[in-house]
Amino acid sequence: MKYLVCISRTPETTAKIAFTDGNTQFDKNGVQYILNPYDEWYALVRALELKEAGGGTVTVINVGTAENDAVIRKALAIGADDAVRIDTDPKSAMNVAKQISEYVKSNPHDIILCGKETIDYNSGEVGGMIAEFLDIPFVSYGEHLDIEGSSATVKRDIEGGSQTVKVNLPAVISAAKGMAEQRIPNMRGIMMAKRKPLNIVPAVPFEDAATVIGYTLPEGKSAVKMIDPENMDELVRLLQEEAKVL
Amino acid sequence: MSKYISIENLKFALFELLESDKLFALDHYKDLDKDSVNIMMDAIKDYADKSMYPVFKEMDQQPAVYEDGKIIVHPAIGRFMKDAGENGWIGPTFSYEDGGMQLPHVFHTAASHIMECANNNMTGYTGLTGGAANLIATYGTSTLKEMYVSNMLEGKWAGTMCLTEPQAGSSLSDIITSASPQTDGSYKIKGHKIFISGGDHEYSENFIHLVLARIEGAPLGTKGISLFAVPKNRITDNSGLEYNDVLTAGEFQKMGQKGYCTTHLVFGENDDCYGHLVGAENQGLKNMFQMMNGARIDVGMTAASVATAAFYASLQYAQERSQGRRILPGGVKNVEAQQTSIINHPDVKRMLLLQKAVTEGSIALLLQASLYHDLSHHSSEEDKEKYHLLLELLTPIAKTYPSEMGRVSISNGLQILGGYGFCTEFSLEQYYRDIRIMSLYEGTTGIQSLDLLGRKVVMKNGETMKLLTKEIIASIAAASNYDDLKPYADKLKSASKNLEQVVMHLLQFAMSGNHERYIADATIFMEMMSNVVIAWQWLKMATTAKTALVTGNTIQTSEFYESKIHTMRFFFKYELAKNNGFKETLMDPDSLTILEDKKSVLA
Ligand SMILES: Cc1cc2nc3c(=O)[nH]c(=O)nc-3n(C[C@H](O)[C@H](O)[C@H](O)COP(=O)(O)OP(=O)(O)OC[C@H]3O[C@@H](n4cnc5c(N)ncnc54)[C@H](O)[C@@H]3O)c2cc1C
Repeated sequence: MKYLVCISRTPETTAKIAFTDGNTQFDKNGVQYILNPYDEWYALVRALELKEAGGGTVTVINVGTAENDAVIRKALAIGADDAVRIDTDPKSAMNVAKQISEYVKSNPHDIILCGKETIDYNSGEVGGMIAEFLDIPFVSYGEHLDIEGSSATVKRDIEGGSQTVKVNLPAVISAAKGMAEQRIPNMRGIMMAKRKPLNIVPAVPFEDAATVIGYTLPEGKSAVKMIDPENMDELVRLLQEEAKVL
Repeated sequence: MSKYISIENLKFALFELLESDKLFALDHYKDLDKDSVNIMMDAIKDYADKSMYPVFKEMDQQPAVYEDGKIIVHPAIGRFMKDAGENGWIGPTFSYEDGGMQLPHVFHTAASHIMECANNNMTGYTGLTGGAANLIATYGTSTLKEMYVSNMLEGKWAGTMCLTEPQAGSSLSDIITSASPQTDGSYKIKGHKIFISGGDHEYSENFIHLVLARIEGAPLGTKGISLFAVPKNRITDNSGLEYNDVLTAGEFQKMGQKGYCTTHLVFGENDDCYGHLVGAENQGLKNMFQMMNGARIDVGMTAASVATAAFYASLQYAQERSQGRRILPGGVKNVEAQQTSIINHPDVKRMLLLQKAVTEGSIALLLQASLYHDLSHHSSEEDKEKYHLLLELLTPIAKTYPSEMGRVSISNGLQILGGYGFCTEFSLEQYYRDIRIMSLYEGTTGIQSLDLLGRKVVMKNGETMKLLTKEIIASIAAASNYDDLKPYADKLKSASKNLEQVVMHLLQFAMSGNHERYIADATIFMEMMSNVVIAWQWLKMATTAKTALVTGNTIQTSEFYESKIHTMRFFFKYELAKNNGFKETLMDPDSLTILEDKKSVLA
């Protein structure tokens, strides 16, 4: 079984987010980067577990510049066998999906796993687009994944419950919380990662159909609201409409 | 989760200030690179967030206790020993042959900092295990190494250091634990060891105690002390384990670090305890110093880390708590205005800046010392000696300054919380209790100060001090290139000269044979010299920050670098200035503490 895990580099969760160039560019100054948690904790670790149980290889793939090599190395340290980086600076999910699907066309894999979304732009589009480009099935938000023969069973979270689907391979599956448990790379893995292959491949030409017009930051958190203990209806309304936790 | 560490500051110190990644050009470290150590540190931060910080308070509330002859510790210790072993965190600095990863000490110290900020009650267990294994790997026979080292590095067996006895605390020359040679080459061990950290618990199937003892007939004093590896359970002929008569007699109940057990061990109560000599006979204390020096850096870093975590807790509080109003021009207060965050009061800002100055200054010094450790083993022969001497000189300061000033720093942090600082609901009071041990174990502040003034300052006829002065002068020269740093470079130059004057003054007593007078105020000298050394670290940090801002070669935000320069100025104004008073005290002809026949002064 050949597993291909799509990985991204995202800002660390506590990074201060700011924009430049008239709010059209993300300000990278002083930002620390991490491997996108959905890709790392769930998609990659589940692929490794399945490989350990049933054999095969796990390759990680990233579309990006050499800046991304550090997070690729981390994926190798966690246990991926090798890595591919398609050397371009993509401006859209569609470009990422295009590049990966072109790579898969000449390097077929049985399962393509990705995180349900990246924690920066949150589009959650790459998996579906890869599947479309390759004309293979896509199952999103997988919380549980098993492989049997040439098909995969995926349990996915749906409103008020869960749904289990069986899908023929090859397929693209996006991973959500619950698919696996985070693995900490150990010292031996970290040292070995340096010697594992990282293949850098040129990108295919691509023209973006959409451009980002601008970003806005959410308004700062407002101060504590005091609610009269007699007025529980108001508390419920605020929790529902403003805090959106109910 | 609240912030308990600044990874940015740690990476600034490692890569921008010390350029520790240059070590990877050395043959010994060639398999590593910057990405590898960054992945390691990030992994440890993830682990600390999930498995260490969440049990910090709990370990205080459920202290290690002695019940039915057993020490009960928090279950997190069991998980931690196992995880640390599996992840290769116990002996990463060991050579490949000894089962390590040849990680430079500077990165190991950095990794410990992350863990200790999250929870200072846990790392002692693995730190002592690694230190004990290192002693065996360095001085033990190949048989001993085979018997113990791999199980220790894998976290299955634990290690301890057993020096202290009821009558021999600071004064190790009074150790009486005995060792009698047996025909098979082993030694029968008998004696009491008290205050033994990590000495026993249910989560390690065996404990390898590194014990200082006296072989029958050995000379009195430190010259007659030997080092032994004494297991709690000895290995039988068929590779099983049998009890080696190491009795756990009790657990000390303490004011802080309650999750880190402190045991009383009795060796050979039934005359059935055996150990093996580690290194040559009567060389025990000298060999033990390898572990003790490492442990002193570890204690210094633990203190710096506890104070760091306390700093971030009080910083957060200061930003959130509103109280009082700012004083407007003319001294008026607008009582109708909203209350201001307490961080806006100059006195609170002063306390926060003090914490930042102490903690980041300490971290820089500890990493610097660890880098010297690496270079003292892996550079040209001439440089090896230089870095070894610098490390020797700085070790007592690197242990003492963070322990003593870290406590002052936490006390200021606690003050920022007002009455809540005194309440168990907030963590400041725990940090305050936890850090208190750091200036006691691994040699009290008094003993460290005697070591600094009595031994290190005069080492190699003062050549060691000259080496440090040379390093400081180089940093002064680099800072002087920037107009706004030049005044501080000049201040450090004069502080360094003042220190030299004090040394020359005190040396007169030593040269005239009055050694007691020479070292009587060693602790005040420690304070004075520490301030020079920390000011040196701050000037270096400010120069690095300034260079980044001027060249635009920035990794951090510009606020980060500006705050470094600001804190340097703070340290010089509020802390280094105290050296004038220290100088006055140290040069004062009056001797008020050597008064054998005048007990009445304490009446
Ligand atoms: C929690 C804890 C954990 C510990 N862990 C370990 C461990 O793992 N292994 C181990 O072997 N020990 C351990 N110790 C022991 C510790 O190292 C000693 O307590 C310490 O060295 C001081 O010895 P003491 O308590 O006997 O004090 P003393 O030696 O009696 O000192 C009392 C005071 O007198 C001062 N003093 C003593 N001699 C001199 C002198 N010559 N000149 C000037 N001042 C002097 C000291 O500075 C101190 O202020 C631990 C202690 C504690 C509390």
